Amino acid sequence: MKKTVFKTACTALNNFKIHFFVLSAFIFLMLSGNAYAMHISEGILPFNWAVLWFVVAAPFVAYGLYKLKKLSSIDPSFKPLVGLVAAVVFIISCMPMPVPTAGTCSHPCGTGISAILLGPGLSVLVAAVALFIQALFLAHGGLSTLGANIVSMGIMGSFAGYITFKTLRGFNTNLFAAGFVAGLIADWATYLSTSVELASGIMGGSPFMPLFTKIIIAFVPTQLPLGILEGAITGGMVVLLYKKRPDLLIKMKVIKSVGGVANEA
Amino acid sequence: MHLFDEYYKNNNLLTRVDVRIKLILTFSLLVMVLCSNGIIFPLFIAMLCIVLCKFIDIPSRVMLIRFSEPLFIAAMLLFLKFFFTGHEPLFCVSIAGIDIVGYKDGLMEGIRLSSRIIGAVSLIALAGFSSPFTDIITGLSWFKIPSQFVDLLMITYRYIFVLFEDAGVIYNAQKNRLGYSSIRSGLSSFGTLSGELIIRAFDRSQITTQAMFQRGYTGNMPVGHSASFKINEVAIAVVIIFAAGVLWKIM
Repeated sequence: MKKTVFKTACTALNNFKIHFFVLSAFIFLMLSGNAYAMHISEGILPFNWAVLWFVVAAPFVAYGLYKLKKLSSIDPSFKPLVGLVAAVVFIISCMPMPVPTAGTCSHPCGTGISAILLGPGLSVLVAAVALFIQALFLAHGGLSTLGANIVSMGIMGSFAGYITFKTLRGFNTNLFAAGFVAGLIADWATYLSTSVELASGIMGGSPFMPLFTKIIIAFVPTQLPLGILEGAITGGMVVLLYKKRPDLLIKMKVIKSVGGVANEA
Repeated sequence: MHLFDEYYKNNNLLTRVDVRIKLILTFSLLVMVLCSNGIIFPLFIAMLCIVLCKFIDIPSRVMLIRFSEPLFIAAMLLFLKFFFTGHEPLFCVSIAGIDIVGYKDGLMEGIRLSSRIIGAVSLIALAGFSSPFTDIITGLSWFKIPSQFVDLLMITYRYIFVLFEDAGVIYNAQKNRLGYSSIRSGLSSFGTLSGELIIRAFDRSQITTQAMFQRGYTGNMPVGHSASFKINEVAIAVVIIFAAGVLWKIM
């Protein structure tokens, strides 16, 4: 009997703790003007974790550089194009977007659309360039956390977005829906991997899972709706490009050209 | 977004230092801050960097904006560590039937983490404020960063300003026509803005390539050559790293 009462009390206490945590997270997010939740800030990760994420990111960046060199040798306008897309991703990920449920602002990643247009290899490079400039001049992310941010925003975001888009297009899903889901998954994959990196970096002596869960809960108010917003924007962008400049989508092999006419299917 | 180029115009002692020396110093001190187990060393570095930022006349408002995001994150982590990790309770308050427990070891860990963030951010902020981008590019080339990456950095940096201006014009036009008056119209406007930027990026890439080839572009961007190191700057850097190493060990 005593044991059951104790167990119930513990569960109740844990529930209270979770409610308190969620409430506190809301208050914190509402207090902040801009919740730049996607990038891990400078100094958060200890040296060993920072190095590990650099090691993980390095082969992907190297692959992106190899691909850029190869494609630039065929079409010299490719390098300026990738640089300009990186500038667009930089601007998109600096733009505050209202997140109604949290009463705050956050920002989209932009890697979903860059992966759809350039492919995941070059999209990793685009993210690396944008993150480097943001870290150095805007204190958005960091140089020591650049590796970790490339892994979450560049690698996870780009590959998740690209694979989703290609898979859905393989099932003849329309452009908006495929773009929407790709943007959504790219955003959520970034947020999920950021949570893993953060929890593993700051856990110290504490166990991983409880901290990971708390970080996930803290991100939910902004990232859940933001993912949906980013999905809508990515879908909208793909459709806008299809309507206004289908030649660009054909050039980037997003859609096929049938008899010189852009074919959505 | 605040245009970050305007703060390099001052010709002062720090901006005149060889960018390679500044990069080596920043990297060395950053490693020490990240490996620091205490709170005094990172806070000491932060204080030093803030003083140096003031010395090169960086406005306090600009510094506050630069530090606002990392400070918020530091506060959030301190809070997270204080209330949700730890074993040794410092206090327990009951509010509306909810027990709020603050842990002593969690608080210490949170303070350590926050001081590390503030120290590291201050270092990078000082490096950013005191080095023009073109100098950083030259420095990175000297450190054998792949030329493809350096080229991309240069192109991206150049066109951020151009595209940002375009984005501003489109945004203001949309805003004046109530493009952001509701969530639905805001989303549609933002999607159009982003799509328009992508189209302009594609078009500009063609024009840029043509213009670059007319100016003798051969596939790689020319990067300024680094002058030879100045003995006095190297000596000062060695002394600073040694002194910081000793302080790091003591603190």
